[in-house]
Amino acid sequence: MNTNSSGFEEVAHTADLEIRAWGKDLNSLFRAAADGMFHLSGIEEYEEGFSAIREEISLNAMDFEGLLILFLEELLYRLTEDYMLFDIKKLTINDNFSLKAKLRGNQIKSYQRDIKAVTYHRLNIKKSRDGYSVNIVFDI
Amino acid sequence: MVSRSDLQQITPYEWEIPVSHRPDMRVPVRLFASEELLQEITRDKSLEQAVNAATLPGLASAVLVMPDMHQGYGFPIGGVAATRYPEGVISPGGIGYDINCGVRLLASRLLYQEAKPHLEDLATALNQFCPSGVGTGGRQRFSLRETGEVCRNGSQWARRKGFASDQDLRRTEEGGRISGADPRYISPRAWQRGSSQVGSLGAGNHFIEIDLVESVFDPEAARVMGLQEGYLALQIHCGSRGLGHQVCSDYVKSLQSAVDRYGIQLPDRALVCAPMDTPEGEAYLSAMACAANYAFANRQVLSHQAREAFESVLAGRVKNWGLSLVYDVAHNIGKIETHSIGGKEIEVCVHRKGATRAFGPGAEDLPSEYGKIGQPVLVPGSMGTSSWVLRGTEGAMRRSLGSCCHGAGRVMSRSKAKKTIRGEDLRASLEKKGITIRAGSMAGLAEEAPAAYKDVDVVVDTVVQAGIAAPVARLKPLVVIKG
Repeated sequence: MNTNSSGFEEVAHTADLEIRAWGKDLNSLFRAAADGMFHLSGIEEYEEGFSAIREEISLNAMDFEGLLILFLEELLYRLTEDYMLFDIKKLTINDNFSLKAKLRGNQIKSYQRDIKAVTYHRLNIKKSRDGYSVNIVFDI
Repeated sequence: MVSRSDLQQITPYEWEIPVSHRPDMRVPVRLFASEELLQEITRDKSLEQAVNAATLPGLASAVLVMPDMHQGYGFPIGGVAATRYPEGVISPGGIGYDINCGVRLLASRLLYQEAKPHLEDLATALNQFCPSGVGTGGRQRFSLRETGEVCRNGSQWARRKGFASDQDLRRTEEGGRISGADPRYISPRAWQRGSSQVGSLGAGNHFIEIDLVESVFDPEAARVMGLQEGYLALQIHCGSRGLGHQVCSDYVKSLQSAVDRYGIQLPDRALVCAPMDTPEGEAYLSAMACAANYAFANRQVLSHQAREAFESVLAGRVKNWGLSLVYDVAHNIGKIETHSIGGKEIEVCVHRKGATRAFGPGAEDLPSEYGKIGQPVLVPGSMGTSSWVLRGTEGAMRRSLGSCCHGAGRVMSRSKAKKTIRGEDLRASLEKKGITIRAGSMAGLAEEAPAAYKDVDVVVDTVVQAGIAAPVARLKPLVVIKG
């Protein structure tokens, strides 16, 4: 997933964890942020499994930053509570700060790190000529 | 960025960033630090975060920061902020995601020499009886109704279940139960996460430690607390688990719009807040109390399980091993307290984020035995280094809103710690020092390496020199259990 046009990198933070994610559009930015979060959880491979389930989620927020947090929290909750790792099959982000996602989830056996929360700390999706980028701090 | 030149020295151990530093500051920032610690503190963004916190509406006095401070999200870790109750704001980010993360210390009647042959077995038993690690729940799942009782009644619930003694409750901050907890303000997801995790340690920097009481500096206070040189003690550090994290996430989200409704301008969205006399503020206070009570109960059940672990190893081998609670204190919490500020008694909500309450002698809420000496203040060091038992002072009541530091404080990022320190090497070096380790993850162990933290002795020396705590005893780790 980590190509020039979208991806993520870990940024040093004294106590918590921070990533910078980027993408050519909001869709690839959101996907890159999810990849980054799963990376921090200690999950790097999307394994095909027999127990794959399909789900659709719809989320609404007041702005794109809020929408990004909702999206990541949703994936994080299902990971930590249900041990379900979701692959984002289709993602549609609308101008009214809503999204619809088609997800395919696989049961996982374990993950390496508990992320307590996705924080709003200095959260600001930046737009430039090349696309979008955002720094996200995770409380661990 | 805040630099060294922005700080005005008040005393050798107190510094101030005046309100003139930034136009949106409402109160100054007061920092407790030695010259040595100041070098480390100015390296990350923690002072800028303290300045951000100083912009919150309704602050009653300076935002304080403790010498173990480091960068967090929103508030700095080590931050203390008092807002006028009820018209001032409460900020979930000023309390943290792990609501009522805290520490408790239990004193044993086991002499080190007597316990030495059993330490390996005790480590194994603690690891078995006290579930820990990523994604690991407690030994039993409770119904939602029962989880509601945990939230309503905290350690009192634990006593009803046979997990606590009267003394345990008396020696827990607030008696182990904060009033005003209303489970109706908790989301279904928080319930879901909470029902399976009572009595579990979690991962990250949480731990259970068997310590040796290495030195006593205040024999009278140590005697009252039940601490004696050469004897073992037990520390438990953890919080409200997934339930608390979910409560904070839920309210940080829902308060995003409240900020606009109440016309509050913030430099960082992680500081979202609402006046306490609004429906939003009241709802968060009730939900936070639920999570705080859950955490008190969680540490109490863990204590019960630790007592069972000791019994499983020592019964028939040792006569009386004790394990009586010295104190249980929160270090991520918002508390409604009355403080003397500017010569007036004012009711405030004291946000302590990575800071410990440290009430001096004669303060309310202290059990009678601690009335004369002041509240026990527990300052765990980083893994493998000393921990300290201090006591609250009159100075803390006057100058730090009855608050003190909560630990050593990080200086190195987790990613750097993991790159520079191998978990296996660290484990070997700690074992060489005679420390027994049980850890769920080697990578996790490396992130918590002593080199990633400040020197706890320097941090403690600072609060002692500043007069906001007095030393009672120093503990040395013998067994460390980590998730």
